Order: sequence, then C-alpha cells, then structure tokens
Amino acid sequence: MNLAGQRRYGTDEVVDAVVVGTGAGGAPLLAELAAAGLRVVALEAGPNFDPAAYGFDETLADEIYWTEERLSGGSTPEAFGANNSGTGIGGSTLHWGAFVPRADPRDFRLHAESGEGCDWPLDHAELTPFYDRVEAFIGTSGPTPYPWDEARRFPLPPVLRNGPAQLMAAACGRLGIAATDAPAAVVSRAFTPGGAVPLRKACINCGFCHQGCRTRAKASMDVTYLPLAVAEGAEIRPDARMHGVERDKAGRITAVVYRSGGRDLRQRCANLILCAGAVETPRLLLHLDLATGSGQVGRNYIGHVATQVWGTFAHEVGMNRGYPSSLITEDYVRPQGADFAGGYLVQSLGVEPLTWGNAVARGRGLWGPALADYLRRYNQVAGIGINGETLPCDANILTLSDETDALGMRKAHISFGYGPNETSLNAHATALMRRIWEAAGATDIWVLERVAHTLGTCRMGRDPDASVVDPFGRSHEVENLWICDGSVFPSSLAANPALTIMALSLRTAGAFLGSRTSR
Amino acid sequence: MTDDPVLFCLHFLGGSAREWRPLAAHLGPAARCVAIDLPGFGDAADQPGADVGAMADHVAARIRAERPGGPWLVAGNSMGAKVALALARRHEDGEEGLSGLAGLVLLAGSPPAPEPMAEERRQAMIAWIDADPETRRREAEAFVAANVGAPLDPEDHARTVEDVLRANPEAWKAWLTGGANEDWRARIGTLATPALVVSGAEDGDLGPEAQAALTLPHLARHRHVVARGAGHLLPLERPGALAALIRDFIAAPPGTGETPTLPPAFAALMGSERVNTRLRTALRERMREPDGPFCLAPEERATLAACLDRVLPQPGPGKIDLARRIDARLASGTGDGWRYAALPPDPQAYARALRSLDAAAAETHGRLFRDLAGHDQDALLDRAAAGRLPATPDGLAPELMTCWLEELRGEAVRTYLAHPAGLAAIGFTGIGAGGDDAEALPGYRLTGLDAREAWETPILETPILETSASTGDVR
Ligand SMILES: Cc1cc2nc3c(=O)[nH]c(=O)nc-3n(C[C@H](O)[C@H](O)[C@H](O)COP(=O)(O)OP(=O)(O)OC[C@H]3O[C@@H](n4cnc5c(N)ncnc54)[C@H](O)[C@@H]3O)c2cc1C
Ligand code: SF4
Repeated sequence: MNLAGQRRYGTDEVVDAVVVGTGAGGAPLLAELAAAGLRVVALEAGPNFDPAAYGFDETLADEIYWTEERLSGGSTPEAFGANNSGTGIGGSTLHWGAFVPRADPRDFRLHAESGEGCDWPLDHAELTPFYDRVEAFIGTSGPTPYPWDEARRFPLPPVLRNGPAQLMAAACGRLGIAATDAPAAVVSRAFTPGGAVPLRKACINCGFCHQGCRTRAKASMDVTYLPLAVAEGAEIRPDARMHGVERDKAGRITAVVYRSGGRDLRQRCANLILCAGAVETPRLLLHLDLATGSGQVGRNYIGHVATQVWGTFAHEVGMNRGYPSSLITEDYVRPQGADFAGGYLVQSLGVEPLTWGNAVARGRGLWGPALADYLRRYNQVAGIGINGETLPCDANILTLSDETDALGMRKAHISFGYGPNETSLNAHATALMRRIWEAAGATDIWVLERVAHTLGTCRMGRDPDASVVDPFGRSHEVENLWICDGSVFPSSLAANPALTIMALSLRTAGAFLGSRTSR
Repeated sequence: MTDDPVLFCLHFLGGSAREWRPLAAHLGPAARCVAIDLPGFGDAADQPGADVGAMADHVAARIRAERPGGPWLVAGNSMGAKVALALARRHEDGEEGLSGLAGLVLLAGSPPAPEPMAEERRQAMIAWIDADPETRRREAEAFVAANVGAPLDPEDHARTVEDVLRANPEAWKAWLTGGANEDWRARIGTLATPALVVSGAEDGDLGPEAQAALTLPHLARHRHVVARGAGHLLPLERPGALAALIRDFIAAPPGTGETPTLPPAFAALMGSERVNTRLRTALRERMREPDGPFCLAPEERATLAACLDRVLPQPGPGKIDLARRIDARLASGTGDGWRYAALPPDPQAYARALRSLDAAAAETHGRLFRDLAGHDQDALLDRAAAGRLPATPDGLAPELMTCWLEELRGEAVRTYLAHPAGLAAIGFTGIGAGGDDAEALPGYRLTGLDAREAWETPILETPILETSASTGDVR
C-alpha cells in the first residue's frame, strides 16, 4: 500500500499507542484510534506489498505467509505456514479466503446452553452494530435476504459460483439442505466506502485469493482499514519486528523495542496494543514475561475442525477458477440430535494445485502411480469442507520450545488435539459431507482431516484468574497493555473468525478511547 | 568419446563465424572449433540466402572438406541450430561423409517447427534491413541489445552489430520469410544423437519453455540447461559456462531425455501476455537445475532420488530432478513454516531417514536402497510408512519414519507442481489469469462446470497419460 506521504512520529515521542501487527485485529483499531486524533504507530514484522506485483503462484505467495518455523505437537498436530498465518502490512488478510459468516448468537452462550466450552463475556447483540460497520466499510458480497439471518444485508450482490459451488448447490437441493451464495468480503462490483479509501475494482474470478489479490477486490486490510488509518494520521512501519518492552517500576510499559533493518529501535509509548495473532501474541508475552501472572497465557489454544471431503466428477470442474468458496450452508450450526456441543458451517471448495496436491500427498497418503494418476484428475475434482467449533481444553496449549529463532526468541510449540466433542462433531460432519458429495455424483470420495485457524491463548473474560484480558481486550495485569486479535477468543465459534476479529477490533478501539476519556 | 573432437559452429541470424571466438578460447584443447559462415552471412555475405536444406548442404560440404579424423559435433545458435538438426538427421540417415557425428549443441535454437515469432516483429525486421544506413545501424544496435540478457562486452557488441550490418539482406529476409517458417518436424522426427540444449532464461520466443516444448521432443537423448540471466546470443553471453557444459557433455553425454518436455500449448501460454513477467521468470527459474549449495551427501541424494522415483513416478519422457531441487531447498534453510515437533530440523531428518532406508536395504537385501528393484523399494517404503523399519544408530527412529514420509510426499508434490511440466501435466490454466497490467487483468469470465474459455482449450486437451489404472488409497 502507499505509505509515501504518511505522518511520521519520532521514536522518542511518547505516542498514545503502539499497535503491533496490522492484520484483522490491528488494522480496524488502528484506523479508529487515528480517526479519534490519537498519535498511533503500527509495527509490522512483514514487508509492505504492492498487490499488483503478486504472481498468481502458490510458491511465490510464500512471501505473504509467516514461514518462520513453529513446532506442532499434540494428538492432532496442526499445520502452520500456508495453512495459517500471514505476514506483511495487512497480516493474514493478505491471504485469507474472505469467507465472512457472522458468529451465530448461540455460539456466544455455548456453555450456558450445553455445559461445554466457555461463554463469551459479551452479548452477541452488542457486536451486531460493529459487524454492520465492518461490512459496510470493507464491502461484502452475498445474498440478501440471507437464509439464516434475516437482518443481515450485503452491500453487493454475490460473486459468481464456481464448479464446486454448483455441485454442492445441486446436491443440497436434492437433500433438502438450505445452501446459498457465500458471504464474501470480495467486491463483486467496483466499490469504495468513500473518503480516503481508493476504489477497488470488481473480482475477476482468478481464484488466487489465498495467494494475494492483485485487483484489490478482496478486502485485505491494506486496501481497506489501513489506507484510512494512514489518511487519519497513523504511521505504519513495515519490516519492524517487536521483541521487547521497557517498563517502569509500576510495571507499566514505557517503550517497545523492535528490530528493523538489523538494528534494534525503541519507540516510546503510553500504551501497547498487541495484535500479532494468536501464536505470536502469546509467544511475545511468554518471552517477555508480561501478563503471565495468572498462568493463562498460551492456554486454551483453539482452532477449527476443518475437515474436507473430496470427490471426482464426470464434469470438467476447473476448481481453480472463480472465488474459491462460493457456497455455504449454515444448517448445521446446531445439528438436530447431535451428540456434541456447538456445530459447524459447510462451504464448497476450489483449491489451487499445490495446496491440493500437498493435501493429497500428505493427507490421503497416496504415493506411487496412484498419486501421479490422481494428481492428473485435478480438473475433475471438487471439495467441500467445514469450519467447526473446537472447545478449549487444558491439553491444547502454546508454550515456548527450547529451539530459538534468528532473533534468539524461543520458537512456539503448539500442542493441539481433538477431545471427544471435536471427534463427534467431525464424525457427524464427515458423514454429512460424504452424503452431499454422493448426492452430487462424486466418485472416489476421500476425507482430508484438517485443522485450521489459530485462536485463543489470551482469552478474554471477567475473571482475572481464568483469562488474560478483560471483556474489552485490556490486560488484567498490565494496565496499559491491550490485546486485539484472534487470541482473545474464549471459544472458536462455528463461523470463520476474521469478520468477528474485525468487529471486536472496532469494539476494543471504542473501549480504549473510552478508557482515556474516563481517566 | 575420444579427445579433441571437432566442434562445427553455426551462428545465429545476422551473426557470423566470429560469434564463436570467445567460446573457442574457453574450450581450449577440449574441442577444436570450426566456425562456419552460413550462406549470406559473415565472409559468405556475397552469397544469396538459402533455405535450411541448402544451408545444411553448405555445412556438409565444409565438414567433408574438413574430414574430421575422429568424432565431431555441431553447435548451432538460434538459426544455426535448425541447420544442425537437419545435419543430424542426414547423419542418422547414413549420408556419406557425415558419419562420426557424436553430439549436438543447440543454443537458444530455432526448433524444427516453424519458429514462434510475432508477425509484427518479423515484418519490422524485414523492413529495416533494407532501410537507409542510419536506420539500419540504429536497428542493428537495438536488435543485438534486445537479444541479450545483459549488455555485451562493448567489443563483442560492436563486432556483432557489424556482422548484422554486413549480412546480405536477401539472406536475412530468406530466413525470416522462409527458413524460420519451414516445418521440419516430420523430417527430423526423433534423433538418437545426444544433444545439449541450452536456453536463456531471459530469451524471448526461444526461451526455456519453447525449447522444452519444441526442441526436446525431437531428441531422445538430451540435457537441457537453462542459463540464468542470459538471452538469445548464448555463445557471446556465456562462453565460459558453455565451454564447461560442452566439456561435460563430451565426457558424459546424456543417455536418455534427462529433463521434461512441455506440451506446446502450455509453453505458448507461458510465453503469452496472459502470464505475468514475474510468474514467467519464476517458472523458467524452476526449469533450471539448481547448482547449489546443497546439503545432502552424494549417496544420500542418490537414495533420495530413488525414493522419489517410487513416491512420485514421472511418466516422462524426461523427468524433473526432484531430489536436486529438494536438496537445494534443504540447504537454503527455508521451510514451509512448521514441522512435527517430534522430527528434527529438516536437513537432519532427511539425512537420517535416508540412512535408515539404506541400512534397511542392506539388512534385507545386502544392497543400497537405490540398487534394489522397484518392488523391493516399494516394500521397504511400505514398512517405513508403517513405522516398522529396523532402528539404526545414525538413522531416524522407526516411528518417525511415518511422519518423514508424509513430509517427503508433500515436498515431492509441491516441488513437482511448482514446475511448468507438473502444472502442464495436470492441465492447469491458472497461470493465464493475467499479465503485467494489473489494471486490465482478464481473470476468468467463466467459472462454472463444463464451461471453458477458448484460450484454455489447448491446455485442457493435453492428453492425460495413465501411469496405472488404479487410484486407490494406499494408507
Ligand atoms: C489460508 C487461510 C485462509 C483463511 N481464510 C479465512 C476466511 O476465509 N475467513 C476468515 O474469517 N478467516 C480466514 N482465515 C483466518 C484469518 O485470516 C485470521 O483469523 C485473521 O486474519 C487473524 O487476525 P489476527 O489479527 O489475529 O492476526 P493476523 O491477521 O495474522 O495479523 C498478525 C500480524 O502481526 C504481525 N506480527 C506478528 N508478530 C509480530 C511482531 N513480533 N512484531 C510485529 N508484527 C508482528 C504479523 O506479521 C501479522 O501481520 C484464513 C487464514 C488462512 C491462513
Ligand atoms: S478471485 Fe476475486 S477476490 Fe479472489 S484474488 Fe481473484 S480477483 Fe481477488
């Protein structure tokens, strides 16, 4: 994005806040604080990309992924890298799928409803106006009316359906399952919310959403909230990796230390807002021994059950064409008669060749001629997948390993495994997806077990002994430390997380501003 | 091959025998260069232009006159390469006086098929060769500059421009309107003569993908080398590197097609405006054989290669050297962002796992893994996947072999599908989603089932080669 004329702050100037990370959590908040007139500096570990220069290639897209090594353990080890986090101005939204269901209100009260999991310390209704604002600003495309949420309005009509979506729609029709065009933070027509945000052209159906959108049709933060933030006076520093803090006697943070161009720099600040994502935020806190008194940092690591079912069709599917996940059903957010808490969403899937081939090789376990032959079916295959609740549990935890990275920081070690609830949910969803794919006419059906998203680890809550931040994102322990990213999620929700992270970000920004006026 | 073979050298359009001086100097005694001016060029500029057959006659006469005592080779740059191919055919057909051809060196060669070239450019070249001296000089300068990856040494540049200017305009036009368009595909067929094919990563129409699609399929025994940063005038741009390649080639000529071919439709798409320059550059770079640094020992790499042949067999002709690419990746220290906590860091995991396989092969068959029959290798891999290989002191723990094999399968496929030959094999059209102008990207207009756009058809109709009938789960 264009940072040429942005406002600059001196490193000795005590800015109102340093925001670390410019992804789904950092960007909306940065824009809000800047718009309120605060002096804010964002530090982003990754570079500043020019979307026009993305290459339409999965290997070239490594540049937008966080590929520093993480160690994956537990009974269902989670893949990171391209499966999970991004880097660069815009964070993981550079490569996200822009699939934007809203959280289901029932998911906020999962514990009250089922005795399982953890309730959110806020009311869903409280978040609705923030969802509305985010969607109007980033531009969402989808079907109005939306079958599972009468109140939801999409500023733009749905994007084109691709082959997998057509297959899933026909099968769901046959099975009596409601399915419709996906809610997508992709603009199906040229769009701008106005003001400082440059016009974005309509989606060209290239299918490369996960490799960076060259047309800027996809709502990544660098084409939405961050231009607004810069116009409002925020400074964004790319290639600035935070790894230290300075604190006064009372424990308040007085400056942030970051590595840039091989040198350590120090930015003085009145507040620190960590938005580095649910792996790097807890890693920083553990590394710096910040807010670790309750022993909660790193705990309750959660993701999503993200199992996929694949099949071969007697059609030329060409699944790389078009917006990848263009169909959804929310019929299974609370499946009838289920023996588990929570539920899941189902989406159709088109996947680029390397990602798909890697899944086939690793997940299906094919090798030899069977592998070579199956890869050549690329243009005839299609998938469906879910995004399902995972409950927090003690065994799922992020800790620091003994191996260190180039900065001397210990690498993150993530233990993750399914409990009985995830296993039951997964079995239910897999059976359903098989049924849908059989109804769609698929042959050679197989199941890819998969975990997606990184959430939890610094959950929000009212009880300082059982959470890291308060219901608005402020640390229970360090008064001028806030957290605003996926790590504050108490439970994973069935919905994909980023839209909710953005809505929470606006809410946290409001609370932060409120905390200053009330001081 | 014996020592001191003769290398007959045939220049590019507008070049002359002088083009080969730097290469001859670098080759030294490894081969004696006999550089020939083709009719209408260099010192033969007084002759009119000739078609490919007549140029081959001209060269054949020279070879007969030279009467090489031992084996000889023909090198051709661009236009000269097509003449070299014609000569090889005549040699293989047993023509008198042409026995003894031991190898072809095709540098940014014009292929047997009509040469891919934009009609506009062809017309412009035909026009300026007859223009006023000032225009001719300006255009000749531009022509030379446009055909190199980086500016030539000023002396070479000046000499090359002079060559273009002294070429007989009739010969120049004869090639552009005749020779370049001649279709020699049926005539050339498949040659058994070993060939070294070199392409410049910065070449225009005759770059790596064009060579892989249009030249390699005619060569049963080929080695294709992509020269990073080089354009079309390879003998002038890379004389030192070429000399080394030629020496290796003479010492150990390829026994088969070593590198993969590309379907012409995929190569054409790769070269088209639908593909952005960054992607085209990356795809070409992936066709280049990595030259290090590496991290596996040679024996380890050989075991890895044998393993990869079983894990992801490539039907050929020619195959992507996955082991070399993976080894280079291991040495680069870059990764995919995570690993199983139980596995040691990648380079160690690979080295240990490969030692485990070799130890198991030695124990069960008394031989190295790579020397076993395919089915015996498969049986060992099955045991490894099941965590049932015997433990070896410097190997990987048996239970970790399962994880490692999963890593290996993923890495093999990712490496394969990053290569144009892999993408072409699966009929992937996505590289054509848009070129350099981000404001006017075509993307896809059609996204639904059984709905393809006209430009996709030739790619999608690449025949699907079966390696076997089954696609069952192995696990
Ligand atoms: C392939 C893929 C597809 C996805 N698709 C969807 C989807 O369709 N819908 C959806 O809702 N969600 C999706 N997600 C998830 C979504 O992208 C994330 O949940 C969301 O972006 C997380 O936001 P965050 O603010 O927590 O972290 P991020 O967006 O990851 O931002 C964190 C930022 O902090 C920076 N950072 C980290 N450490 C430091 C440091 N020490 N100093 C400075 N900067 C630092 C990082 O570089 C990064 O830019 C997808 C994720 C992936 C990987
Ligand atoms: S499919 Fe649309 S939103 Fe996705 S990358 Fe292409 S243009 Fe952008």
